[in-house]
Formats: sequence, C-alpha cells, structure tokens
Amino acid sequence: MATSFNRLPPQALHMITRNPTQSSKKLGFSTFLSCAPSVDSSFSRLSLNHSGSKFGLSLDTRVRKEFIVRAEDNAEAEPEEAAVDGIVDAEGNVEEVVEVGEAKSMRKPRIKLGDVMGILNKKAIEVSEKVRPVPEIRTGDIVEIKLEVPENRRRLSIYKGIVMSRQNAGIHTTIRIRRIIAGIGVEIVFPIYSPNIKEIKVMSHRKVRRARLYYLRDKLPRLSTFK
Amino acid sequence: MAAALASRFSRGRSLIGSLSNAFSGLMNSSNGIMNGNILSQQQQRTFIQMGTNLKVVDNSGAKEVKCIQSLKANKKGARLGDIIVGSVKEAIPSGKVKKGMVVYGVVVRAAMPKRRVDGSQVKFDDNAIVVVGIKEKKKQKKVEFNQPTGTRVFGPVPHEMRRKKQLKILALAQHIV
Repeated sequence: MATSFNRLPPQALHMITRNPTQSSKKLGFSTFLSCAPSVDSSFSRLSLNHSGSKFGLSLDTRVRKEFIVRAEDNAEAEPEEAAVDGIVDAEGNVEEVVEVGEAKSMRKPRIKLGDVMGILNKKAIEVSEKVRPVPEIRTGDIVEIKLEVPENRRRLSIYKGIVMSRQNAGIHTTIRIRRIIAGIGVEIVFPIYSPNIKEIKVMSHRKVRRARLYYLRDKLPRLSTFK
Repeated sequence: MAAALASRFSRGRSLIGSLSNAFSGLMNSSNGIMNGNILSQQQQRTFIQMGTNLKVVDNSGAKEVKCIQSLKANKKGARLGDIIVGSVKEAIPSGKVKKGMVVYGVVVRAAMPKRRVDGSQVKFDDNAIVVVGIKEKKKQKKVEFNQPTGTRVFGPVPHEMRRKKQLKILALAQHIV
C-alpha cells in the first residue's frame, strides 16, 4: 500500500482528497505522509472515511507518532490545502490537534482482511458460549458428552471416553473421543460448540505425554475402557 | 482397481490424487500428521470393496465374509450402511449360512469415518456386516434387504441404520452409537 502511494503524482493525491468524506474525527492517515515529506506542505491531512475508504489503511504506532509531529508542524504553517473538511486556520488546527489526540484514543483499529475469519469465529464462539459454556478440555481428559440426536428423538445419547485429540479451528473446534463399546473400539469426533451437544463434563484426567493419543488404537482395549 | 487396493494400504498423508476426494472427510484427522511426521503412520481407511474381509456380527452362521461386490452405485466401494455381496469364507458348522454361500450383507461397522450432518464423525475399529439375505441360484431380483437372517446382533451399531431403513437391526442391537 505504501509503495503505491509513493508513485501517485500529487495531482492524483489531490483528487483523492476531494472524496466526499465527512467524518468529524480524523480517522486515518495515509502512510505517504511519512514516506513523502516533500508533498506535506501542500496536503496537510488526508481524512479518509472510516467505512468508505478503499485503502484500508492500518495505523501502526510509528505512523501515529509521525502524525502527531506533522500535525504540530502544520499547526503553524498551514497553507490553503485541498478540500479537507474542517481545517480552516491555524487556531482551528491547534484545536483539531487536540481533538485528534482525543479522537485517536477512541478510534477503532482498521480491520484487515486477514483478521475477518478470526473475528467471525470469535463472535460465533461467544454466541455459543452464552447458550452453553464449554469447559476447558484437553487431551487425556475423560469426558462425558450428552448429545441430542434429532434422529433418535428419545433421551439424550451419552458418550463417554477419553479425549484423543483436540483440533482447534475456531467454531469447528473438535475433540475426538475413544471408547470401547460392547467389545469394539469406537472413535467419535464432536464439534464442541455444536448446539446438539447439551452437556460436556470432564470426569477425570489421565496423565498423557502426547497431544494426540493415536497410540491407543494399537494398545490393549483395557486402556480405552471407561465405565 | 489395483491402484485402489494399493491406496488402501497407503500410509501417511493422502497424496493419492485420484482418491483425494474420498479423503476430504479424513482431512480433519490427517491434518495433525500433515506436517511431515512420516514416522507416525496413520492408516488411511477407505471403502469396502472387492476383496475386503469383513466380520459377521450376527448369529446367522457365517463368521467371515469376503466382499465380492458393493451394491452401491459408487464405484469406489461401500461405506457404513451400504449393502454388499459377499462370499462366506468361514462359518460355524451348524448355521443357516454355510461356507461358500453368496450372501448379502449390510455394513454396520466400518473403519472409514462416517460424517454426520451435525459435523461429527464416527469410526469403528473394524469392518463388520450383518447378513440380510442369501443369493439364490434362481437369480431372483431382490430389491429390499430389511430382514437380517440371524436373530441377534453383536457389538455397537450406529444410528445410520435408521436412515438406511434397517430398523430390525437397530432393534436387535446391543448398543446404538
């Protein structure tokens, strides 16, 4: 992003600033301010609309510090600049600096595209936790799960067993339960935030020195039997 | 077919291009070993196809059956809940089903994980069938395979049987998973 700003001619920047962006708070600042100090005198500030901006800039502290410096510089030497709303005279600039200083602490960080899935997953987990809180489950726990199966339509099915593995994937975080049922080993993978699961309870814990207990498949059935 | 049989014994990551679709359900389990742990070899369980030996878990008389054909349209093979045609390789001396007979069976336990609509998966430690019919010489075309030949079913049974209309098996089961 920053490099593309370097290559933009000043005229283009002029056009960019003419975007009808109304925001009382000065939310974003292009990084070219820090990269291209020569054009700073003509363009004091770019204010980009928080939602309407195409550039999606994220602010790091370096830019913020430099912004503060430039704002103070521009407080005295304020030529007429390109159609940025609200900046009128030197006196107004000082006020704006203060206002921007306060606005900066209230400003929400720009959401990067790469963070979107993480945020969505967190929100979905919060919703699920409100309905049913999920205990802390680790490999080696012996848990009991009460599951509602729409096919069964009877009492809740109960699954007991040792947690062989836990795969973290946001809302689709799953645990793999192993148990010997009627002589045959059965492994079931449960998504722990599923609404079908009515209860998860940790019964006990077995000390294991692995994150995934696939070795239990080859061991005696006695090790996977839980009353 | 040879490639399919070979892939059944493949270890480690699912590098088989042709059958990689089948392993989309196994990706969850194989992701843990994707990162270059060649030493811990997890078996990639696949379909039940011609040549698969299966246990018989009812009291119809047969003990071991070798799959001849999977009656599923899927050319890759049968999974949990599908019907297969098998040849009885081993049987108890006094039973309804004798050695060498050709029988129909429904797969009640499969080592390949079966995904469910709620996002869970179930897999068993072995492959097992329940005999639901005997193939006659007269070539009578049977469509429905609902009635098991035996009177008891051993071991756990998944509730996929309900969807496959195998209600008698569910009724006889010791434990429904």
